[in-house]
Amino acid sequence: MPNGYIGLLAEEARSFTVDGPLKSITFDFLGKEWIVSESVVVQWVVMLVLAIFFFVLGRNLKVVPTTRRQMIAEYIVGTFTGQVDDSMGPRYKAYRPYIGALFCFIFLSCIMGIFGLRNPTSDVSVTGAWAIITFVLVFYTKIKTGGVKGFLKSYVEPAPFMLPFNIIGDFANPVAQALRLFGNNVSGMVIGGLVYFALGGIAGGLASIGIPAVLSLYFDLFSAFIQSYIFVTLTMAYVSMAETD
Amino acid sequence: MEQAIVLAASAIGAGLAMIAGLGPGIGEGYCGGKAVEAVGRQPEASGAITKQMIIGDALAETTGLYSLIIALLLMYANPFIGKL
Repeated sequence: MPNGYIGLLAEEARSFTVDGPLKSITFDFLGKEWIVSESVVVQWVVMLVLAIFFFVLGRNLKVVPTTRRQMIAEYIVGTFTGQVDDSMGPRYKAYRPYIGALFCFIFLSCIMGIFGLRNPTSDVSVTGAWAIITFVLVFYTKIKTGGVKGFLKSYVEPAPFMLPFNIIGDFANPVAQALRLFGNNVSGMVIGGLVYFALGGIAGGLASIGIPAVLSLYFDLFSAFIQSYIFVTLTMAYVSMAETD
Repeated sequence: MEQAIVLAASAIGAGLAMIAGLGPGIGEGYCGGKAVEAVGRQPEASGAITKQMIIGDALAETTGLYSLIIALLLMYANPFIGKL
């Protein structure tokens, strides 16, 4: 949440959102006070979980899979390989690990609310950072495929008067991409908090057991999956559309 | 008193901003319906159609998300209170 003015309305609304057990870390370094926000700490947890999970999956691989562990690993890798090849073509082989890692990272970040931690994706600077990576990849692809000349020329195509629209389009994509993920997660968090708040008043709080689980299933699992899929698909679409010749 | 008016107006404004949710709803419904028609006509292309549909949905959703951001700003980081 933005730390702007906290009004009466905001005090009320703030209690709807989830505050996880992890807190931000403050430390002194080089005579200055540095703050590591809660969303970064939760992302470290996500990274640790993913690293351990895939390390365990990837150990002792054989040419002919015999264990269920290797079947799962091959299924995951095969799915992402197929997705990238379908959307971007085999020329973009190098994007397979990035897209796979990005999807797993976003999905696990989005479902952190289930485990009682605060979603890192409900922080606009986190989703903004991911969108900036896509933004840089788009520029990299443009310059790599067309050279600097083709890159500059792509802005005056199909006609020179399109120049401002092309520039706005380039900058609007990452903004929309970041706000999409952020908006979906925050809306889920706020609606979930509101429902908890409302049900807490019925039957002395007993009503808030069980019923919000249905909402959580939709917002945390379904929406998280769809949104991370959309983020990854849009990344692939933007990068492969950035090709200039 | 002034604060109460601003807070009440902000709450109403946050609600009104979410009327913009109508647009993406209609747009995404149209998009999904057309995708179902397309899959019915050409079932073997369902993978490509689904991908196009999701990209279209995501783009249609953007305006709704902008209104959501405005509603959230009015609720959590009200810019008008500071002007009192």
